[in-house]
Formats: sequence, C-alpha cells, structure tokens
Amino acid sequence: MSVLSQLNVIQVSGLTKRVSTLEGSLTILSDINFSVKSGESVAIVGASGSGKSTLLSLLAGLDVASEGDVHLDGEALSSLDEEARARVRAEKIGFVFQSFMLVQSLTALENVMLPAELAGDHDAKKQAIELLEKVGLTHRLEHYPSQLSGGEQQRVAIARAFIGSPKILFADEPSANLDSKNGHLIETLLFDLNKQNGTTLVLVTHDEQLAKQCQRIIHIEGGQLERISEGGAANVG
Amino acid sequence: MWVKLAFKLFSREFRRGELTIIFAAIALAVLTVFSLSSITERIGLNIAQKSSDFIAADRRLSSNHAFDPQILIKSSEFGLETAKMLYFDSMLFANDELVLGSVKATTETYPLRGKIIIKDSLTSPDYEVDSGPKAGSVWLSEGLFYTLDLKIGDQVELGAGLFNVSKVLVKEPDAPFFSLSGNKRVLLNYDDIPTTQAVQAGSRVFHRLLFSGNEQQLSDYYAWLKPELKSNQNWEGIKDRQSPLGNNLERAERFLLLAGLFGIMLAAVAMAVSAKRYCERQYDPVAMMKTLGGSRKVIRNIFLLHLSLVTTFSIAAGLAIGFVLQTIGADYLATFMGTELPQAGIRPWLLSSFIGLICAMMFSLKPLLDLFDIPPLRVLRRNLGDTLAVSRLHLALSFITIFVLMWIFSGEIITTLILFASTLLVIAILFGISRLLFAAGRSLGLRPGSSWSLAIATLQKRANANAIQLISFALAIKLMLFLVVLKTDIIADWQMQVPPDAPNMFIINIAENEVTPIEQFFNENNIGHEAFYPIFSGRVDAVNGDKFARRVSKQEGEEKDEDAKEGVSREPNLTWLDTLPEGNEITEGQWFSDEGLLGDEIEVSVFDGWKESLDLKLGDTITLLVNEQPIEAKVTSFRDVDWGTLKPNFVMILSPNMAGLVPVTYFSAAKLQDKHTQDISQLLQRYPTISMIDIKSQIEQAQSIIAQVSLAIGFVLSIVLVSGALVLISQVQASLAERMQEVVILRTLGAKGRLIKLATLYEFMLLGAISGLVAAIVSDVALLVIQQQLFSIKGQLHPYIWLLGPFSGAVFVSSIGYFMVARTMRQNTQGLLRKLA
Repeated sequence: MSVLSQLNVIQVSGLTKRVSTLEGSLTILSDINFSVKSGESVAIVGASGSGKSTLLSLLAGLDVASEGDVHLDGEALSSLDEEARARVRAEKIGFVFQSFMLVQSLTALENVMLPAELAGDHDAKKQAIELLEKVGLTHRLEHYPSQLSGGEQQRVAIARAFIGSPKILFADEPSANLDSKNGHLIETLLFDLNKQNGTTLVLVTHDEQLAKQCQRIIHIEGGQLERISEGGAANVG
Repeated sequence: MWVKLAFKLFSREFRRGELTIIFAAIALAVLTVFSLSSITERIGLNIAQKSSDFIAADRRLSSNHAFDPQILIKSSEFGLETAKMLYFDSMLFANDELVLGSVKATTETYPLRGKIIIKDSLTSPDYEVDSGPKAGSVWLSEGLFYTLDLKIGDQVELGAGLFNVSKVLVKEPDAPFFSLSGNKRVLLNYDDIPTTQAVQAGSRVFHRLLFSGNEQQLSDYYAWLKPELKSNQNWEGIKDRQSPLGNNLERAERFLLLAGLFGIMLAAVAMAVSAKRYCERQYDPVAMMKTLGGSRKVIRNIFLLHLSLVTTFSIAAGLAIGFVLQTIGADYLATFMGTELPQAGIRPWLLSSFIGLICAMMFSLKPLLDLFDIPPLRVLRRNLGDTLAVSRLHLALSFITIFVLMWIFSGEIITTLILFASTLLVIAILFGISRLLFAAGRSLGLRPGSSWSLAIATLQKRANANAIQLISFALAIKLMLFLVVLKTDIIADWQMQVPPDAPNMFIINIAENEVTPIEQFFNENNIGHEAFYPIFSGRVDAVNGDKFARRVSKQEGEEKDEDAKEGVSREPNLTWLDTLPEGNEITEGQWFSDEGLLGDEIEVSVFDGWKESLDLKLGDTITLLVNEQPIEAKVTSFRDVDWGTLKPNFVMILSPNMAGLVPVTYFSAAKLQDKHTQDISQLLQRYPTISMIDIKSQIEQAQSIIAQVSLAIGFVLSIVLVSGALVLISQVQASLAERMQEVVILRTLGAKGRLIKLATLYEFMLLGAISGLVAAIVSDVALLVIQQQLFSIKGQLHPYIWLLGPFSGAVFVSSIGYFMVARTMRQNTQGLLRKLA
C-alpha cells in the first residue's frame, strides 16, 4: 500500500453497483473513483435517484459493490464479510441519518451510549454525557425520543455519531427532515464537532448551500461521477 | 456488556407494552393447561376413588356359592386387604311384627373403600364410620324401624338369634342404587351368621369377597386368580359399573378438554401474531445496531435473552395464576361434592411449562430468524426487510406447533386430528369467502366521502391483511360461539336428565293385584308417579339354540367399550312394554310389530351394547331362562339407551304378548315430598311386601355436581373468551402502525376526526360482522357433528347464533378495535408524524 493511499482514509476505485430487476440488470453506480483524505470534509451531491445514497451505503460497508472496491482506513471492504464490516463500522465510523434512527425504547443518554456498549466500552456513560453537553442537551438526558423535538432528536443522533471518536463520519441528509432554523443549528453543530474531533466527514445532500460548507464536492449524475469541485471550506481545511 | 444492554432493552420494551401480548398469550396458554389438566386430573382421581366407594373395594368377587378358602389365603400373599360379605334374606321379628329383611353380614374390615353412614337414633344427625356392627348387635335401615315399631336399644329376632338394635343404617358405600333389595336392610357382623341359623345348605345366599390394594398387586393377583375362577364366580372392577354421575362427569371432562384445546389454539394464534409483530417492530433498532457495529452474535444474544426472559416470566405467571385458580376451583368443587379432591401429581406442572416453552419457541422462531437477517442497509432504505405477507415457513411452523400442542394436551390423536383438520378447512373456506366478500363490496355504490365508503375502501385496500385478520377474528369468534352453545346445550341436557319434577323414590316388589290400588292411592294423594313397569329376572341361556356359556367378565381395562360394563353374566331385569320408553332410540330394526303385540311369537328389543357381547343380529332367537322356564324371543330391534337419565332403563324389552307367561312384580317411581311421609307409612303398612328406594340424595348430589361443573365450564369459557380477546387485540395492534399512517395522511389532507373515527368504527364493525357470520355458520355445522360424536347429545341447529355471531362479532371487534385506534386519534397530527418518523 502506498504512502498516498495511507493518507487517503477512503479510497474508492472502479466502484459499480448493479441490481437485478424484473426488467433485467439495472446499473445504479458505474465506475466511481475518488479518494478522501483524513480529516477532510466531502459532500456528495446529486438529484434524487442519482445514486448518492447507494454510494454512501457502499462507502460505509452497509452494502457490497458489484465491482470495484472501497478501502476504508486501509481495509478493503470487498474482502470482508458482514461481521467484519460491522467491526470496521464499530471501530471507525459514525453515522447521522435523515430520519434520526434513534432506538425508541432507549433514553437520549442510552441512545448515545449504544454504539460504545455494542463495542463493549465500559466508559460509555461519561463520554455520552460529555457529548450531550456539547450538543446542548444536558437537560434531556433521560428523555425518550418521542419526548424530544425533531431538532433535539438529530442532536442526540449527532452526539451518538461522535461517541468512540470515529475516524469517519457519514451523514445522510442530516437536516432534510428539519425546519430551516433547526436545520442550520444541526449543520453548524455537525461541522463544529467535526473540526474539534478532526473527523473525516462524508455528507450526502441535495442542498448546494450545505455542500458548499465542505472542502470538496463530489457531483453524482445518473450513477456516474460527473465532477469533483472545491467547496467553500476548501481553503479552511 | 451485551447482557446489561439486553436487560435494559427488555425492561423498556416490557414497560412500553411491546411484550405484553406475547407475555399474556404464553401465560394464558400455561394457565389454561395447568388449571384444566390439574382440575380434570383431580376430578378423574376422585371419580376413580368414588367408583371404588361404589363397590366398597377396588375389586370384588361374587358368587352364589362359598369360595375356596385358598382364594382368601392367596390374596394376603399378594399384599391385598380383604373383607368378606354374605347376602341373604331372613325374617325379622319384634313387637309381634314379622318382616322379611335383606341381610348383609360383613367382617370388621368392611368397607375397604368409602364409609358407612349411620345415625344414633331416627331423629339424630347422620355420621360416617369405618366398619360395621360389633358381634351381638345389628344396624337396621329406617324402614325396618317403622315396620317393626322399633327404637334404638330394642331387641330384634333375626332368624334364630336375638340381637341388640344399636344404630340406624343410613347408607353403605355399596348400597344398591338401582337394585331390587328394598329398604329393609340389615347390617350384621359376619361372626354372627351361625347364630342366626339362617344360612343352611341350599339357602339362597350371595357370597362376596372384597379386595383392595395398588393396581400392580391387584393385577398380579388377578393373573393368579383368573385360571382358578369358576363359571359361577364373577370378578368386578370399578369400571364395570354404570352411573349417570360418572357419565356426566366424563362429559364435563371432555368439554373441559375441548375448551382447553380451543384456549391453547387461540393463545397460540395470539402468540404467533404478536411475536411476528414484536419482531417487525425491532427491525429498525436491529438495523441501527448493525449499522453502529453490533455483531450478529451480540444481536442474536440480546433477542434470545429477551425471548428467554419473557418465556420464563410468563410461564411463572401462568403457573402461579393457574395454581391459584385451580385451588379455588377444586376447593369449590370439593365443598359441593362433599369430598376432598385428591391432589394432582407433577404432570400438570410439567405439561403446562412444556407447552408454554414450545409456544414461545416455535411461534417466535421464524420471526426471530427474520429479525437477525435484517440488513443494516435498512437504515437508508426504510422498507428493506419488510415482509407484508406471512412467510410460508412461519405458517407451517405455527400449524405444526399448534397440532403438536393439541396432541400433547389432549393425548388423543383422533380428537386432535378432527379439530385440526376442520380448522384448516375453515381457514380455507374463510379465505375464499373473505376475498369474495371484499370483491363484492366494490360493486356497492356508496357516496364518495362518506364514512362507509372510506371504511369499505380501506377494507379492500388491505384485502390480504384483512383476509388474515378476518380468519383470526372468525376463528376466535367461532371457538367462542362454539363453546357458549355447547355449554348451554350440555347443561340443558343434564338438567333434562334431572328435571325438578324427577321422581325421588323407586317403588318395587309391587304385586300385580296391588298395582291398581297403589295407583289409586297415588292419585288420591296427588303424588306424581311414573307408569308401572312389569319386572322379572331372566338369564340369557342360548342364542339360536346354542347354549351360551356363562363367561367370566373381563378384567377391567382389557375392554373399554360400554358393553363390557354391563357384562352378560348378570341376570338382567326384564320388562315388556307396548311403547318405546323415553330416552330410547331404535338403531336397527323395528319396534314391535302387530305379531309381537298380539300374536304368539315373542319379540325382544335389545340394548345396542349387548349386540356385540352376545354376537347378536336381527332375527336371532334368544332363549331366556326365567325361573328355570325357557322363553324364546326373536330379536326384532336394537336400541340406544341413554343410561345417563335417572329413569328405569332396560337391557331387554320384550313384546307385550309375554304377559301371563311368567310371574312378575311391578315397578314404579314417584316424586314424594315431606308432607307425604305419613301417607307413605300408611301405604307401607297396608302393603308390607312393597319396598321403596330413596334416591333423593343421589338426585341432590347429581344436581349439585351439575351446578358446580357448569360453574367450572363457565370459568373455562371465560379463559377462552380472554384468549379470543387477546387474538383480536394482537391483530388490531399488528395493523396499528399502518392505520396510524393512514390517519396521519387523512388528517393532513384535512379529513375531519369524526369521519376518520366513524370510518374506523364501520371498518371494524364490518370485519366483525362478516367474521361473526362466517363463524356462526361454521360453528353451527361443526357443533352438529361434535355434539353427536363426542358428547352423545342430540345435535340440532341453533338459528339464534346466526344472529348472535354477526352481532357479537361486530360489537366485540369494533369495540376493541375502536378503543385501540381512538387512542391514536387523540394525538395531534404532528405528534403522530413524529411517532412515525
């Protein structure tokens, strides 16, 4: 493995995803190649159905590619089985989803502790409280998701994403389900925490303004990588 | 670490009510099985004990001749307890009155089973004792005190001996129930027999040896005894006796068993539905956990631990509630049956826990496997892993499990097969009907925008899901209707057997010339009575000229059919009649022809049960020996006899042209009240040879047991109703998420709350009514079969359930469904949206 590829925390090469349908095989992503450096923030943008969510699922090892490969912090995902990919996610990845994806039967604090607990981390509680403090939810620790507003739920999800100090954070339309005020709050929080932790951020969005806050923007169109442009934060990084 | 997380998740899920239905379903199955199996086991043990009481022993050997002393000596080698008994008739003399009494002389060990009931004087209360009178004294039945004008402490001559009258004999355990021995009974000490000098060579006496011990000792002894038995010796066991009470309790036991099966079936359906729903509700958390790096192993451990915990808790709860219920039930029954019910063994505990375990494992297995397979990708593609249709494997597993559960519980493959196959058939029919009905609904031209059209549209939209709901609703309603009707019919049938005006006294030994004056006496004193039946004893000597060897009746258990109970070695009581008695039904041939009524050829109608025992067919000629006089009769019909009634029943009824051929006495039954006591004493004075048998206590016992068993049946029925409600709740709950989504959409689009509420109400009402109608039709047909096959009750259609079914279905389903959905609708749209997010 070259020094360059070691610097690239995500290395995507010839990534293709095909699914079989009643009408035959359908190519969702075709021959995607790019890399993301450690600590970099990258937005993946594209219209609905362009394949950006599929790309995210392949990058995070939630799905397997038909061709090509993703190297995540040096590990080739195609060579790993479901269990090994889960281990990689546990060790290296944090997630923020459009629909928050909190476990309804757990409190805000317990939701944040969940990834650490699954990984067997005994120090989860202290870390979770600190994170919830950072997202401004100290007063909501024992509340259940149904007792929180959408913005609050997403803040819990962000706190959860950072527990265990992951190397990479994947965010899928994190503010799409929120009103603009709450949406901006969440975006700011996400970028701030990302900077503080030096995490690599991969953000899927159709919101050009949000994308511009990243250092680079990967444009996907019809399942193909159309171009890679520099975002507004390019010089900050 | 995962253990802590698993416990945390479990306690939260439990508090949120996600596991309530699964918990309730398992607990209900366990408590149903536990309470029913222990109560039936305890009643069964009690019946066996009671039956032993009927013969005052476990086995009895009877003969007209003295037994070889070796029989008794040998029995002690086998560890059996024994008692000797001798029956004979002898004259009693006191206060210048002479009367013929039936004497029973017994050794001190009598009775081996049951108690003797006596009184210290005619007016004092009765009590139980364990053995008969000491040598030198006798106990006399009440009738003899009146006839001989005796009181306690007087002396009475019995044969050649003089005895002290020390107690009033009320009842012995083996006192004749339907026999002709009358109410002039004497209990004497066996050692006093020589003093009476009543037993001489050639005297008409009956010898009996009583045995008791455990089943092994008894069967070992019988193995030795069998080759030694002579043709005039008769070995009897407890099952060789018929009793209306036993028949009724057996019927009650069958009902409880059937109800238990239904209870399990319903609980199983509720369990299957709720387990599937619970697992589906966990799809998102599992996908999330997998995304966050949770390994398959950890997730599997977490949910298997959940299953183990819910299973353990629900089995424990089921056993605890079941134990309390069966204790209350058994205590209640015991009070009314006047006896302590024997404790059930460990079987109900093991059986119910095992059934709970099987329920939990088998119904959750497939949904759990599906759950473990949920891909993490579901966090991005939300509907990934959703399975709208029930998987075939889950269905197959559930059906097999229900079948096995029913089999384990009932221990009867035939009943299980019939019930299971008919249920499958019902499901298939229901599925077809439901699809047709929903399709037909489309052609109903309803005003768009009305609650009704919305309800019908919703029903059609979810046709598949609704078909499944309809099937479970209909199944639940069917089983409930089924039991309600069966309960009503069984109880009505019992009450018919012992109607309030049933006779409570049998009058026997009436001479032909006494019939008219006695009938007149009854009419003058307003005493309700039955017809006077001519009665004579006869022995079956030959069939078609072939001498019929007296057989040793079979050891119990070797033959289970009813025929064996009656045996053919007895000399049955015979009668002649011109009309078929109530409770009898011709199964083959014709009731007496004109020839039998008026001609020379004597005809006979034989009880079905004897057909096989004697290997009879229509047209055979039976030779009966009546007082050593041979009578030939042609078999012209076979009859089914309802032995469950407290009415005189006959194994053989001869044609009326028998009259005058043999000497007879007459028999009748009357309903006596306390005010008649004086009149009856007069009657007995005037006609000293007639005897009366008081069956008041038997009738009271039968009535109280019927009342109590009805109560037990009602209790079981309520368990089944709860199971049925659980099925409905689990089904409605399963569709709740989808309904919530619809409510949100409709609300968002501006539909009025009233419209949505009414549409929901109508939808459930329609579902309930359709289910109820189908359930009523199917259960009525099934009832017809089951009543005749399993309960020997005359089956009939019940038009009222055709209305009751749809009505109760609509009310039951709509109230449960509406209540659950209404809770949802009280929330505002935004709140619902957040819940759905």
